[in-house]
Amino acid sequence: MLKYKTFVKKTRSGGILKVVREHYLRDDIWCGSEVCVECKDETPVLEKDPCMESNLCTFPHYLIPDTNVVLHQIDVLEDRLIRNVIILQTVLQEVRHRSAPVYKRIKDAIHTKEKNFYTFTNEHHRETFIEREPGESANDRNDRAIRVAVQWYSKHIPDSANIKVVLLTNDRLNKEKAEQAGLIAYKCEEYIKSLIANPELIDQLALTSDDKNEITSSKILFPEHLPLSQIQAGIKSGKYIQGTFRANRDNYLEGNVFVQGEGDESTEILLQGLQQLNRAVHQDVVAVELLPRKDWVAPSAVVLQDDGPKAEDDEQEEEEEKKLQMKQVAQQALKPTGRVVGIIKRNWRPYCGMLSVSLIKQATRHLFTPADRRIPKIRIETRRADSLAGQRIMVAIDGWPKNSRYPNGHFMKSLGSAGDRETETEVLLLEHDVPHLPFSQNVLSFLPKMPWTITDDVMKNRVDLRHLCVCSVDPPGCTDIDDALHCRDLENGNLEVGVHIADVSHFIRPGNALDQEAANRGTTVYLCGMRIDMVPELLSSNLCSLRSDVERLAFSCIWEMNHNAEILNTRFTKSVINSKASLTYAEAQMRIDDTSMNDDITKSLRGLNKLAKILKAGRIEKGALTLSSPEVRFHMDSETHDPIDLQTKQLMETNSMVEEFMLLANISVAQKIYDEFSECALLRKHPSPPSSNYDILHKAAKAKNLVIHTESAKELADSLNDAEIDGFPYFNTLLRILTTRCMMQAVYFCSGLDSDFRHYGLATPIYTHFTSPIRRYSDIIVHRLLAVAIGADSTYPTLMDKHKQAALCNNLNYRHKMAQYAQRSSVAFHTQLFFKNRGILNEEGFILFVRKNAIIILIPKFGLEGTVFFENKNKPSPKMVFNEEIPTLTVEGHTFNMFDCVRVTISLDASNIQHQKIRMALLEPVIPGVSVPPPDSEPEAKKMKLDR
Amino acid sequence: MAGLELLSDQGYRLDGRKSTELRKIQARMGVFDQADGSAYLEQGRTIALAVVYGPHDVRGSRAKIQHDRAVINCQYSMATFSTAERKRRPHGDRKSTEMSLHLKETFEAAILTHLYPRSQIDIYVKILQSDGGNYSACVNAATLAVIDAGIPMRDYVCACTVGFVDDTPLADMNHAEESGGGTNLALALLPRGGQIALLQMDARLHQDHLDTLMEAAMTACKGVSKVLDEVVRQHLQETVILTGE
Amino acid sequence: MATVQISEAEKLYVVHGVRDDLRVDGRGCEDYRHTEIETDVVSNTDGSAKVTLGHTNVLVGIKAEIGKPKPMLPDEGYLEFFVDCSANATPEFEGRGGEGLGIELSNTLYKVFSNKQSVDLKSLCISPGEHCWVLYVDVLLLQCDGNLFDAISVAIKAALFNTKIPKVRIAEEEDGGKEIELSDDPYDCVRVNVENVPCIVTLCKIGHRHVVDATLQEKACSVASLLISVTHKGLVTCVRKLGGGSLDPESIFEMTETGKRVGKALHAPLMELLQKEESLGSKRQKVGFLG
Repeated sequence: MLKYKTFVKKTRSGGILKVVREHYLRDDIWCGSEVCVECKDETPVLEKDPCMESNLCTFPHYLIPDTNVVLHQIDVLEDRLIRNVIILQTVLQEVRHRSAPVYKRIKDAIHTKEKNFYTFTNEHHRETFIEREPGESANDRNDRAIRVAVQWYSKHIPDSANIKVVLLTNDRLNKEKAEQAGLIAYKCEEYIKSLIANPELIDQLALTSDDKNEITSSKILFPEHLPLSQIQAGIKSGKYIQGTFRANRDNYLEGNVFVQGEGDESTEILLQGLQQLNRAVHQDVVAVELLPRKDWVAPSAVVLQDDGPKAEDDEQEEEEEKKLQMKQVAQQALKPTGRVVGIIKRNWRPYCGMLSVSLIKQATRHLFTPADRRIPKIRIETRRADSLAGQRIMVAIDGWPKNSRYPNGHFMKSLGSAGDRETETEVLLLEHDVPHLPFSQNVLSFLPKMPWTITDDVMKNRVDLRHLCVCSVDPPGCTDIDDALHCRDLENGNLEVGVHIADVSHFIRPGNALDQEAANRGTTVYLCGMRIDMVPELLSSNLCSLRSDVERLAFSCIWEMNHNAEILNTRFTKSVINSKASLTYAEAQMRIDDTSMNDDITKSLRGLNKLAKILKAGRIEKGALTLSSPEVRFHMDSETHDPIDLQTKQLMETNSMVEEFMLLANISVAQKIYDEFSECALLRKHPSPPSSNYDILHKAAKAKNLVIHTESAKELADSLNDAEIDGFPYFNTLLRILTTRCMMQAVYFCSGLDSDFRHYGLATPIYTHFTSPIRRYSDIIVHRLLAVAIGADSTYPTLMDKHKQAALCNNLNYRHKMAQYAQRSSVAFHTQLFFKNRGILNEEGFILFVRKNAIIILIPKFGLEGTVFFENKNKPSPKMVFNEEIPTLTVEGHTFNMFDCVRVTISLDASNIQHQKIRMALLEPVIPGVSVPPPDSEPEAKKMKLDR
Repeated sequence: MAGLELLSDQGYRLDGRKSTELRKIQARMGVFDQADGSAYLEQGRTIALAVVYGPHDVRGSRAKIQHDRAVINCQYSMATFSTAERKRRPHGDRKSTEMSLHLKETFEAAILTHLYPRSQIDIYVKILQSDGGNYSACVNAATLAVIDAGIPMRDYVCACTVGFVDDTPLADMNHAEESGGGTNLALALLPRGGQIALLQMDARLHQDHLDTLMEAAMTACKGVSKVLDEVVRQHLQETVILTGE
Repeated sequence: MATVQISEAEKLYVVHGVRDDLRVDGRGCEDYRHTEIETDVVSNTDGSAKVTLGHTNVLVGIKAEIGKPKPMLPDEGYLEFFVDCSANATPEFEGRGGEGLGIELSNTLYKVFSNKQSVDLKSLCISPGEHCWVLYVDVLLLQCDGNLFDAISVAIKAALFNTKIPKVRIAEEEDGGKEIELSDDPYDCVRVNVENVPCIVTLCKIGHRHVVDATLQEKACSVASLLISVTHKGLVTCVRKLGGGSLDPESIFEMTETGKRVGKALHAPLMELLQKEESLGSKRQKVGFLG
């Protein structure tokens, strides 16, 4: 066991501590090639006939990239064309150290069988390990280690195989040294350009520093960034301030630095002008220096958009900057102003957007305009500008030298034509950071092998509930059925109610790639006509989905209740169930209502429904809120997937029946896991909103001579119930919509790090998510906690680590928020599609909010919200008086109140292809010079070109 | 960057070992002349020096005397320079006191104490360099020292630690692996009978995994015992040659 | 063993032998026992040495840590000594048994070594008044057979010679803040100049004569002994009388002369040995305790 190990000690000084580690060298690390006869590798990864046709390397070859090539050209390496690559351990370790995202991507590539990527553990191979020499820097040593490994491969692969190894490096010195040693080495560009099969791959190359110099003028445009050490010292001494840079959406010459203070406090520092922004990109962590008070400015209200190459002459920009500063007025409007002295951490991601093709024909350098207006334009190099025009593309930033007006980047991929349903969906997923790539091979490898059956091993710690009459009730077309229910009479006269939740944690084991992927995704994202799964489909729609007439594993929560819905006994257990029916809400409702049906399922449903009503009444009694938001649902054309009709969702009794039991299960589980793990239970809370949030609600009610009490959830619920106006049935809904806007966001948290557990909206002291593990990761964690609590499963260290769990909660909260935004964007986009070919519509709506220069209208028919502006760039503004107290807006003598009924025209404004939007204009009441004529006569609405 | 990757996808640990492989063990018996028995043992970079005095009269309080067996007296200490960060004092802290007690229990189980009633055996162990698995190195060194002193034992006592990462037991953890957190199981085994002289585990572990972990620890201990056996045989051979002259 | 029991007859035998310059183990009065020195035996330290002198066995480890200079000497680093009389050496040292001896030894070592005549303390200063290197010299007694001081002093000198202090740089910030930066290259380190580091020679008065490097047995026959620390130039840096008996001034003078002679002669072979070992570099086969 020990005999083939020689041992060498490696000394590394870290800090002042002397750290010494053992380093064993081995003889049993194989080269991984199919042609090799010496190595006893059973499943070699590298093919015996590697085929990547290249002008430079006309022979079959394996590639060995160095660290920088992996770090910067990962986009290229991920391409299907690049195969048979040897990733050295030295490279992998350096990449891991320097960039976690790239590390993950290269690991995914290694796990993809078709890519034939092989990891060679060269640092532990007896013949390829080298020790650092005196005077040699760590980087030089690693470069040498890479060369030694390449050399070893060149010698090791038998000549008869006629396969060569090619080193890819962009480091000139490294390349020279490699060539001196007789190795084949190419720069990454050279090699990629030589590939015959796909000349387009060149565009995906990141710009290396050599190329950048050519592109930019030699004139230095920006102040130098300070080195990190100086920044850190400056921050320590208070000279500089660290914060996150947030670009202004409407003015590219302005931005804020958000500084997190002690506790919840935070301040903002204003930045104005290109010099002060100093190449900061939205979301970067930067160091700023405050300017002396006399140089402070006020935020400008001007909308300024960078118009691209035309503005490249600096004089014009300087003028704009001057204009900005001219605006400054009152002293009290001045904000702390600063300038960026250095970048602490870049937060660049791939950006979606469109190419603004250069006006010069045949040019290869073009500006790219990101969809997110907070991101500056990016200069990229491509030969395919003509074909990319009009397409949504993705671009990554490579760097922003101080002598370049725009950051340099490279083209990554095209998403498709702008305006396409698929393309736009892709864009909104990317822009909301929704992980939506197909699951990697590595992740899929942790799926159970099909055909899957329930073995005796699985039955351990599990109760057989297959005999129970369980059924599921879901929306139509639902394939990921999380939950099923049953209700039956017990001999003692009581009722037994069971909630059965898909046992996802049985299939997703802690820590493996599948688990990590799910934890990262956090939630399944539902878009119009599309679902981005959190777990692979085999689980979400098959093995975990509690479909009817198949045996499925479940986590059951079973109560014994009396007929007053009082819980007498709660039991949690892992189980096996066999659902007897998968019903839709409508079907279930029909069964309950149809007195002629008396089968077991129907009886069970009726029992559930009866109990649910009692539970709901009890909950409302305690002060649970019934809120409302105008949810719309599209009727999709089954062929084109285009929306053909739009309607608001309808709620049935059975909806609330299922909901009641899910709430009950969630509360019961929350209590159980908190009792068991008071320090590390994952719970969900909904903080009560600060009273100022309700101001608008109070004002709105007062305008209608009503009083809304907001001191407690109970009072709020009651006064909302009483708020009715005769002849205005929609008023109550409007009020509830408004109340929803006053609410705080519900969040996940770890019980050990928080003291306020209350869920305000549900009026329960403790709450969690247990019932949808297929689509929410939080529920998987809760399942694991509960399983440990009842002794059905084992624990693992991160589950019990409250700080790790808090970090997980942060990610989940972020993903949920992003999923929500993505969903809204998706609805908005489909709404646009819907209105696209309908010309200008004429609809009735209600005023939801009154603003200084606009009113916000809700169209109940479409659940659509839009803004009617009264100001216009090209026209003199109408006379407007805004009264903040009531609030009202008086335009040319007509006073708009909240909840007023108006008529508006609705149309699609497609003038800006990246940012299409729904445009609303006032029809009634008729205000001369403000309202528009009915759409039939003349489509004047198009002229109303307003921003925002 | 979060922590160290304790086990790579290729199945190698930080120092290049595979999950079941032990560190290199080197040992020598009879390093000192004045003591009745002594041994020096390197287990990777962890170095332990064990010295045995006795059996001799019970020192100090007569109340300690056992009429049917020998008293085992252990002291564990660490050289102040043994750890990466200098220790303030070599022994007397909680950890060393606990370790001394563990050693005592381990050797009470192994030494045939009934052969020496009313006497005392001192086992002093010093860690000269600490790089994980201090307890096991101590036990292994002390075993050799007891053998060197000619005190009869039931069997070799072999100890090894086992960790648990990514559902894989890691044998003979070094310091970097130990500080990576997670479970750490120390086991002292009398290999021939498969008897366990000491079992200690830190951090939580589900019962289901315990069997796997114990199995791995026993295998590791048997590996250690092979090495120790070789050392003893080698030492005997050398002594025979020396005395034979 | 820290002490031995000796009978009157044995005592007489020893004293008579010394009188005739023939000691029990066959040495002359100014001869040392067989001595072995090896450096760099504990890789966790910045410098270490193991010295065997007859049956006396000591291990010295040196760790360099960054500390604050003493207020009186702002531009100097300093040395700290700790002697661990471990139970390994003798059961008498178990628990707190060795503490007394340990304190006595470390105090003497402090007087002998931690001064600017012996070690260039100024070279240990990083930034005056703020940071300096503190060398923690930890001595571990593994086996005692007399003449601890001499063995320890040789081991300390060897360990200091072996000590590699990582190179640090003070990065001055423009606003006056100071940051300690560690060199990235593990080979980049500072060595301690050991040229003037003295060795201790302990002379035992036995009968009318005195011997160097006394064994425990011989020590039991002596009334008192004299400790002298001598540099390679023959400079005496410290003299101390040890033991319960008394010495007349004349014999102190004689003993000092002998000490100077013996001590001076000790340095050259020691340095030669150390340099030879150093030149082997990483190719040296380490023996340690395994040999």
